[in-house]
Amino acid sequence: MAEETKTEPKQKTSSAKSTESAKKIRYIVKRMYQKAQQAKEQNLKVAYCMVMCNYEEILEALDIVQVYTENYAGLCAVKREAEQYMKKAQAEGYSDVLCGYAQVGIGFDAWRHELGGAMPPDAPDGGMPEPDVLLGCSMGCDPRWKWYQALGRYKNTPIYNMEVLMPPSDADFDAIKDYYVRYMAEELRGLIAFLEKQTGKKMDYDRLTAIVKQVEETRQWWRKAYDLRKAIPCPMSTQDHFVIFVPHHMLLTDPMTLDFYKGLYQELKDRVDNKIGVIDDEKYRLLWGVGIPPWHSMYILDYFQTFGAVFAAETAYMIPEHFEMPSDISDPVELIALRAFERNSAVQRRGKEAGGIPPLAQMHLERIRDFTIDGVVMHVTRSCRAATMGQILARNVIRDYYPRLPVMFMESDIVDVESYSEAETKNQIDTFMEMVDTYKKSST
Amino acid sequence: MAKIAQRGLIRARELYEHREARAKELSKKGKKVIGYFCSYTPVEIFTALDLVPYRIQGKVGKPVDQAGQYVESIVCPYVRSCFDLALSGEFDFLSGVIIPHTCDAMHRLYDIWKYHLKPPYSYQLYVPHMTHQASYEFFQKEIESLKTGLEQFVGRSASEKDLIKAISLHNRSRSLLRELYEMRKPEPPVISGTEVMWVLVAGMTIPIQEFNELLEDVIAEVRSRKPSAENKPRLLISGSEVDDNTLIHLVEESGASVVMDDLCTGSRFFWQDVDTSKGVMQGLAERYLNITCPRTYRPGKAAQRFSYLGDFIREWKAQGVILYTIRFCDTYQLDAPEMKDYIQSLGLPVLFLEDTYVTSPTGQWKTRVEAFLETIEARRE
Repeated sequence: MAEETKTEPKQKTSSAKSTESAKKIRYIVKRMYQKAQQAKEQNLKVAYCMVMCNYEEILEALDIVQVYTENYAGLCAVKREAEQYMKKAQAEGYSDVLCGYAQVGIGFDAWRHELGGAMPPDAPDGGMPEPDVLLGCSMGCDPRWKWYQALGRYKNTPIYNMEVLMPPSDADFDAIKDYYVRYMAEELRGLIAFLEKQTGKKMDYDRLTAIVKQVEETRQWWRKAYDLRKAIPCPMSTQDHFVIFVPHHMLLTDPMTLDFYKGLYQELKDRVDNKIGVIDDEKYRLLWGVGIPPWHSMYILDYFQTFGAVFAAETAYMIPEHFEMPSDISDPVELIALRAFERNSAVQRRGKEAGGIPPLAQMHLERIRDFTIDGVVMHVTRSCRAATMGQILARNVIRDYYPRLPVMFMESDIVDVESYSEAETKNQIDTFMEMVDTYKKSST
Repeated sequence: MAKIAQRGLIRARELYEHREARAKELSKKGKKVIGYFCSYTPVEIFTALDLVPYRIQGKVGKPVDQAGQYVESIVCPYVRSCFDLALSGEFDFLSGVIIPHTCDAMHRLYDIWKYHLKPPYSYQLYVPHMTHQASYEFFQKEIESLKTGLEQFVGRSASEKDLIKAISLHNRSRSLLRELYEMRKPEPPVISGTEVMWVLVAGMTIPIQEFNELLEDVIAEVRSRKPSAENKPRLLISGSEVDDNTLIHLVEESGASVVMDDLCTGSRFFWQDVDTSKGVMQGLAERYLNITCPRTYRPGKAAQRFSYLGDFIREWKAQGVILYTIRFCDTYQLDAPEMKDYIQSLGLPVLFLEDTYVTSPTGQWKTRVEAFLETIEARRE
């Protein structure tokens, strides 16, 4: 217990949760790191990974323990323990505006290297175990593979960086499909060959197929649960979403995860059936627009609730798009490759069909329409270009379609608490909520 | 419209100062000029279709004005500067724009550019981040798709013969540039880093045939120079987008010679030829994906990944290296500390400069450059 207390945040940084499902996550996260730390004792290989790279099923089928380094950085931020690692990375010559997650991760491993391989002292949740392989991917942003390359300064760990394609927004999707899927499949096969060599195991393709199917079922349940948030009053808030994504993104292949989302669906259905909302008197419904949240100060989202506002949806840490598994493809690698293409081009296709709406904006327009949104909050994060660039574009497109809908840009960072001013943020929220109120009154 | 000199270094300098002048003139005469970003765009396709490639650059020293309403302040300042110029109409002469998905900023710029500026033609070329065998095969298909898109836009197609001719012209240009860079090898070099930049930038704004003529003129002009007896510290500059002379001029004014570069506006964009022996498209894919920019993953430790830099240092006898990064460039900044380790392991001092592109802190740079040169001088003694 004493150790647990040591790794609890120095001050409360979390937000209020409305569901019982969300309240289970802290335990799940602790268990996840405990299991990762025990992996070596069980002769299991550990991989440093990035979320949403389409390789989760492959790792599971080869019994590789997955450690998601970006999310460990987020955990450090939640506990207000990120700064020590960022300072270490900066002392090693890395820029203070580099991806905050990468700064934390590089600082952590540079420190471990300095300690001759020992865990940095008092590492949150016991720290990340030493990896046996580093698995970066191009999906999402450049630091998600560059970071692991940079770790070559401190480790000789074998690395496989993998391409995950994001087709251009206006592509001729039918024309490019074959070679996009083929490249993705080759990248996955390359990964399997690399992992077979590192683990000494052979891929069991039947097992892989079963895992892929299980994952799709998991996603269906999460999607069904998510859709229930369209209800008025909204049964679950973004505050809950930003922990509820954890099983999907980091424990995707764990059988517990399927049960978790089934449970979430049931809980939200009960709440909807009984008209139980996040707050008693829901006056306004907000969208958390693209932007990774301020992990260091999540409680600021609760401040919106004091105005009667509920975050009913978000465009961050989203559920992958629906994918209908074709019955004529038996090779699970082909299936994963096709799934990646269909998912990563789905919003683009809809935006193109809608007359050339950029995909990021299209996601916002869909949420605004489907979740009856009265205002949008976007988080401008100093150290995350990928989740920030395009926010103004999304706002400009929203203005074209919903000219009076208020959009607020909240400025801070994903991990660096120094970039956050509570007083300024609250002032900004006060003004924004006045605008939301005006909008709501004029539109009803 | 600025009147540009016809020959030699004076023409290069004037084209550098009035980058759009020749392209605008050609556009007025009915030629289609296509704007592009990055060293990764295979401009041979443009040439084969009789399109003029025009590399889009920002303007150092001009504060970003309107772009703040469209592009966030925490992203690549070079990209913001380019978009700002586009908003003010500086690129209105372009018939289209190609923005490759090279880094995060370029990837996201495409949608912003297309939605707000509505160019007559636009295309995003996906450049793989990896260099597996399948990456090259994929990139070849992407280049073929780009070719098809451009062909549809102009209403004609480029035959293999057209492509081979275009590649030959661009390879000729590369060969001439390497010849020019040989003139930086003597001690002291017979051409300054500042002059080389005029030539490089000029070449990004005019048709390849004209660039080759310009290069032949410049080489002849420089060859006729009498070598000076000055023996200044010899520097290599490595970084991303350096399309303005401020830094190199400042370094040379401070008493050094910039003798070699590793820049995406320098050696990186012309060093390798296209080898057509295995096929035109395969040759293009291999040539462009082999560019050594930090945005492309190359396996191996620093000594392996940056060995080309070691070769440059040895062959051009560099005595110090300036690592220049643009703020918010994640890919370069994730490589920079290892690159610095590597250069230092070769026994050379390194000056690391982080820049905001539009407002270069020249006063501060001058102090740091002078201190750096003193370090090199002390070693030389």
